[in-house]
Amino acid sequence: MEQKLQKLFKEASYQPESRLSGDVWSSIEYKSAQITKWKKFGYLCLSILSLFGSVFSIKSLIEQAMRLGFFNYFSLAFSDSGAIATYWKEYTLSLADSLPVVSLALSFFLLFILFISIRNTSYQFKNKLLAS
Amino acid sequence: MDKNDKELIKEYLEGNDDSFKSLVNKYNSSIYNYSVRFAGIDNSKDIVQDVFLKAWRNIKKFDDTKASFKTWLFIITRNTITDYLRKKKMISFSSLDKDEESFESNILDEVILPDEALIKLEDKELLNNTLDKIPQNYREVLVLYYQEDMTFNEIGQLLEKPLNTVKSYHRRALIMLREMIS
Repeated sequence: MEQKLQKLFKEASYQPESRLSGDVWSSIEYKSAQITKWKKFGYLCLSILSLFGSVFSIKSLIEQAMRLGFFNYFSLAFSDSGAIATYWKEYTLSLADSLPVVSLALSFFLLFILFISIRNTSYQFKNKLLAS
Repeated sequence: MDKNDKELIKEYLEGNDDSFKSLVNKYNSSIYNYSVRFAGIDNSKDIVQDVFLKAWRNIKKFDDTKASFKTWLFIITRNTITDYLRKKKMISFSSLDKDEESFESNILDEVILPDEALIKLEDKELLNNTLDKIPQNYREVLVLYYQEDMTFNEIGQLLEKPLNTVKSYHRRALIMLREMIS
């Protein structure tokens, strides 16, 4: 009975139009193109924003480093290496003390975001070129 | 040689779009037939497109240790149809879920549908019309078991029902089918 019923049920199945699978694939391709477009736009915006952010944070980092005298301590390393060799502990502490840590961390973070967004933007463009 | 679903999914995730196309070609008839049965012929094309879009979006989340791709796809289809029916304020699949009492019957399968009934069911129109009149949960079991070659276990996974309930639905559905055509 089971096999007979299976045969009868299969014969009574509703069949789709032959173009249905083509239509399904077209809608997937359309959606994929839309997602790529938005991703590209998003990463491009992020690249631009992080680029500006990086420029400002690096500028601020340099200003703070100058104000705290980091460059003065740093230049000693090239001008008076003998004194540094003698007082290297004090020198290292002074150098670390004059380092604008927050600005440095912020600059590294923004540079990292810039790197990631540029990499992803170029990946999206590369994919589009390969697809076309 | 035909590749199995697992291989096709792996290939698609490695960048071969044609593998997903093969999955669409393989299952679009089944999904269409199931959709027509439960959401009507007018809406089925949209539902099929929706189902494959959802499958494509979530293919990375598919876990073959939990269910086969076919069962996973039918779960998506079932949810899509439920959402569709809810939007249209039509009867949902869950409206029959209360009917859970165990069904005991000593009637053997051979007797449920005798030869005369099977001969009557050779008329496709009669079979389809009768199926349309059977409650959804029962119809679902018949469609998945006889048309989509799913096992009772797979159907249970899809309907989130224990194996015995699925078997009980199957038996009741056959009895209803017999009563309706006699």
